[in-house]
Amino acid sequence: MRTNRTILLIEDKTNLSDTLRTLLEMHDFTVLLAENGEEGLRQARLNRPDLVISDIYMPVMNGYELLDTFQSDSTLRQIPVLMLTAKTGMEEVNKAMKKGAAGYVTKPFLFKKLHAVIRKILF
Amino acid sequence: MKSQYYIKVNQLLNGIKAPVLIIDPDAMVVEKANKTAIAQLGEALVGNPLQVMPVNGSFILAAGSNGKKSHIDFKSSRVHIHRKVYLLAIGQPVARQAALRLQLQHLEKERNLQEMKANFISMTSHEFRTPLTAIASAIDLVEGRMQREGAIDDFYRRNIAKISHEVFNLNTMLDEILTLSKIVSNNYEINKMPVDVRKMVDFLKHQYFTDRRDDRKLEVKISGTPRKVIVDKDQLSKILVNLIGNAFKYSDKKNPVLRLRYHKRKCEIRVADHGIGIPEKDIPNLFNSFYRGSNVDGREGTGLGLSIVKTFVEMNGGKITVDSEENKGTTFSITFRYEDE
Repeated sequence: MRTNRTILLIEDKTNLSDTLRTLLEMHDFTVLLAENGEEGLRQARLNRPDLVISDIYMPVMNGYELLDTFQSDSTLRQIPVLMLTAKTGMEEVNKAMKKGAAGYVTKPFLFKKLHAVIRKILF
Repeated sequence: MKSQYYIKVNQLLNGIKAPVLIIDPDAMVVEKANKTAIAQLGEALVGNPLQVMPVNGSFILAAGSNGKKSHIDFKSSRVHIHRKVYLLAIGQPVARQAALRLQLQHLEKERNLQEMKANFISMTSHEFRTPLTAIASAIDLVEGRMQREGAIDDFYRRNIAKISHEVFNLNTMLDEILTLSKIVSNNYEINKMPVDVRKMVDFLKHQYFTDRRDDRKLEVKISGTPRKVIVDKDQLSKILVNLIGNAFKYSDKKNPVLRLRYHKRKCEIRVADHGIGIPEKDIPNLFNSFYRGSNVDGREGTGLGLSIVKTFVEMNGGKITVDSEENKGTTFSITFRYEDE
């Protein structure tokens, strides 16, 4: 059974994104993958996911630039973006939230935690 | 220095035309100076601590012979004299302008090196989190799949929990090393501002202390009229994460409690647990780097957390105290001033 919700996961570490994809699929989400912000943006425009989960530090178009692009585009603005950040400093988190992120989870995380944040945003 | 060496070293030193100093590297005391050095820098130099700290082995001393001011640029290196290590510093006179320029260069070099070190540690710790995240997620996946297939039992559950627990331990240690390296290299910019502690506690509770594996929660109790305190936000958050994290780590059944009390003149934050407590004999050393309680058993840690906490509390003009009884629990209390006091 699917939740009928599609999540676009933007993460350049494929080892992690493979695992997360399987975990999310086990929890009945449909998952799309992108390896950087630019590709993520293209996928978001094409497939209109219900939620975007994005890493911050990526080689082509980082998470902050992605948030800026989403905010300046009226068709993308409604899609919530959840940030995965490896920095625990409040500065990073504040910056992401100011740029319009719907939430964030600091790496490393328990899937239980990520799942709880996803549910809070989507349901 | 032993006598037979003393004569040899003396002859050797006085044979050199440039000013030469021999320095004890532990106390940074000038043990010996040759004739040229004494003539240019004065007798008082010997037997006293060096007035400047060498940067990468270099330092500049002001010399004042015949009423004329000049500067001597010393370069030092380690030498063994009678099996003990000394610094042998050989000087070269420089003009004042050149002296300042040299001093600046030394400092610049040192600063670049420190910056490089801090950047390196920050970068590596960031890189370490990538595999840690992949491991944590893979463990979750294995456990989830086993559960779904009915293949999990207590043995697997216990050992899977162990792996996961250790991954997060490693992550905490990484945070502490990163923080300490920043403190040591003086790379911590303190940025005090009015902070709403209630809001921060709420934020940290949801960020770090919910959806735990063991389903325990942080209980928060607030009393008094809320007012803002003047602290560095990032540092207060590190202080609280550490104290709350410890409260979870050193207890296992009851929920830790954070009491936020707005007193008349100060704001008090008490973090209490009902855990293993701290033996009385360990309390005096509790805030020293690398010191760990004698009853921590298998609980991993670097012994850096509380030393960082104390440094940050004091950098923000606060006070920290601890009250503990073995096998009953521990309460840490920190206080800060209000913004308009």
